[in-house]
Amino acid sequence: MRIWLWRLGLLLIALTLWEAVARMLNPILYVGPSRLPGALARVLATRDLPPLPGHVWLTVGEIAAAYVLAVAGGLWVGFLLGLRRTVGRIYEPLLATLYAVPSVVWYPSLMLFFGLGPASKIAFGFLLGFFPVTLAVLAGIRQVPATLVTVAVSMGARPWTVFRKVMLPAMASTMVGGLRTGLALSVVGVLVGELLGARAGLGYVINYAYGLMMTAEYAALVVLVAAAVLLLDGAGALIEARVKQWAG
Amino acid sequence: MTTGAPIVVESVSKRYETPSGPVPAVETVSLTVRPREFVSLLGPSGCGKSTLLAMIGGLVPPDAGRILIEGTPISGPTPSKVALVFQDPGLFPWRTALDNVGFGLELTGVGAARRREIALSLLEPMGLKGFESKYPRELSGGMRQRVAIARALALDTPILLMDEPFGALDEQTRLLMGEWLVEVRHRTQRTIVFVTHSLHEAIALSDRIAVMTARPGRIKDVVEVPLPYPRALDGPDAVALHAKLWAQIREESLRAMEGRR
Amino acid sequence: MGRLKVLACQALSVAALLLAWEAAVRWRLLDPLFVPAPSSILRVLGVTGAEALPRLGETLVKTLLGYALAILAGVPAGLVLGSRPTAHAVAMPYVVALYGVPKILVLPWIALIFGIGLSTAVLSAAVFAVFPVVVLVAAGTRDVDAALVTVATSMGASRAQIIRKVILPAVLPSVLAAMRVAMVFALLGTLIAEMLAGNRGMGFQMQRTALAFRAPELFAATAIVSVVSISVVLFLEHLNTRLGRWR
Repeated sequence: MRIWLWRLGLLLIALTLWEAVARMLNPILYVGPSRLPGALARVLATRDLPPLPGHVWLTVGEIAAAYVLAVAGGLWVGFLLGLRRTVGRIYEPLLATLYAVPSVVWYPSLMLFFGLGPASKIAFGFLLGFFPVTLAVLAGIRQVPATLVTVAVSMGARPWTVFRKVMLPAMASTMVGGLRTGLALSVVGVLVGELLGARAGLGYVINYAYGLMMTAEYAALVVLVAAAVLLLDGAGALIEARVKQWAG
Repeated sequence: MTTGAPIVVESVSKRYETPSGPVPAVETVSLTVRPREFVSLLGPSGCGKSTLLAMIGGLVPPDAGRILIEGTPISGPTPSKVALVFQDPGLFPWRTALDNVGFGLELTGVGAARRREIALSLLEPMGLKGFESKYPRELSGGMRQRVAIARALALDTPILLMDEPFGALDEQTRLLMGEWLVEVRHRTQRTIVFVTHSLHEAIALSDRIAVMTARPGRIKDVVEVPLPYPRALDGPDAVALHAKLWAQIREESLRAMEGRR
Repeated sequence: MGRLKVLACQALSVAALLLAWEAAVRWRLLDPLFVPAPSSILRVLGVTGAEALPRLGETLVKTLLGYALAILAGVPAGLVLGSRPTAHAVAMPYVVALYGVPKILVLPWIALIFGIGLSTAVLSAAVFAVFPVVVLVAAGTRDVDAALVTVATSMGASRAQIIRKVILPAVLPSVLAAMRVAMVFALLGTLIAEMLAGNRGMGFQMQRTALAFRAPELFAATAIVSVVSISVVLFLEHLNTRLGRWR
């Protein structure tokens, strides 16, 4: 219990410091927490800024599409590389090498190919979310204890049954972790894509505000998006914990 | 090589604070260990023998009573008098066997050449000659424990405390290590206090065995082992002793098992 | 399958991919405006490469500066958080939360204050890299085997000796791992900053060629950055193996 008090204290101290520093410096550039609620209200009232709802829905749609593709692709490639030993030995190192490249280098090429519309953002979100899912599937397959599979096979279970009733549950914890990271990265991918060049979406609105030096509104939007991302990941964490509880 | 020194444990008690209240680990234990003696602390799991050993080693302060080493009460680790060996060899993985053995000497500022000399002289009779530049992960469990014991011996303390040092080893290795420890003991003439839950080990190694009760740990009995070395555990004396000890331990083990329900 | 066979298969796969790609562009299955043929990329590689060198240098300098900042700030922070359980319990949730927030969101603000140039990119690299460093170092510090500390204490080591001779060597692998991970993040931060608010460096170059529809140049630049990044990571991993013989 004491820890919660300390955490709250730390938060309050941080907020106070932020406010104090912001007041001392140029208000155009530095926005203290006290100005955020007002700015948020202005943003929602759609004065000076493009109407939010349309853009929010677009971004959410892009994230959903990117994530679905990332999960589908990641599961498919992950199982392909993981279940077929030789294929995995050949292609997994190649995949790992790609992982060493900062993902954002692919974005200009995606922008060139897909244009500035939602497609490039979905593609980038897919690209970012794909890797954690694939890696989690691979790791999950690897850590299934061979004894479990042996037991099932010795009881006469056929390959598909073994996969469904033994491997999947044994992999569940690791896979859920990958699905959660994949979601976080798909979100980042879409947001980065929108911020680097878009004509619509939350990232576009944030750039708009920043371009007009509406720092308070920009800050309010950032806090809003950050909070949404954290809530989403929090939900993911809860689901992960539940799966871990069940799967062991 | 130094000769053994007396340990006197006077009415020592220790409680541990748990979320559900204080749990007594050791209650009014008194014990005297004579110089150069090998005493085993024998008892079921959770009986507080490790706690008692930690107190003698100065790692844990008693709540009541005191411990005297060579007549002086202790108030913390006494590296000049007491060296410890634990079940987990606790070798520093980033140091070679040689550097591990020299660690205690390093702490007291002994020079590198001298450290090397002492370490090699300890590792050789342990059959580890040629392994001094190996890292712990390149050594087997038995070898690691021998290095840990060499590290403790390097401090050249009169007293050696060992907390189930062979517990993590397989049966055969454990028996061999026991034989080897007897030989080390006779060579170095130190006082040894040895924690174990194995009757065989206690009978094979000790001059006296202190039998401890289930939690809270008290000394139930102190049994003399007047058998000559090397010991044959199938001789009539050994068998009788084993039966006697087992009768006492069995009672306490049952109590320990029930207590944990 | 032997190692050589695996390498051969990998090389063949890459070669096959490139050939199929080349064919697809020549047969107009792919529009060369958006997806340039490998041959055209190769052709401009020389010119782009020469042009890219100074830009690459700029990007790398910014990355290294930001990286240094992240390490200097993050390693001590991680050590402190990892060694004090209360501090860890209190502060760690905030660190993890901040880690989870897309850092690009604060870049426009940094650019607003520091302008379009070196400082923004360096700060961006530092911001991106510092979080994994703190998290990894804190975890490594927490994981120091308590048994090792007990051994040292029982031998009469002072607090300073314990820190120097037990904790620091035990934490080193985590610190090295953090330093490897931080490098990629720092590069990422630099590139993003250059793309968002920059007028120099590889990130800016790539953004510019993309918007000008100069596909071969863009792909060549992408390839160059990728190769450099992969090389740096491989080098760091090689260093890691060399230094970690005891693990």
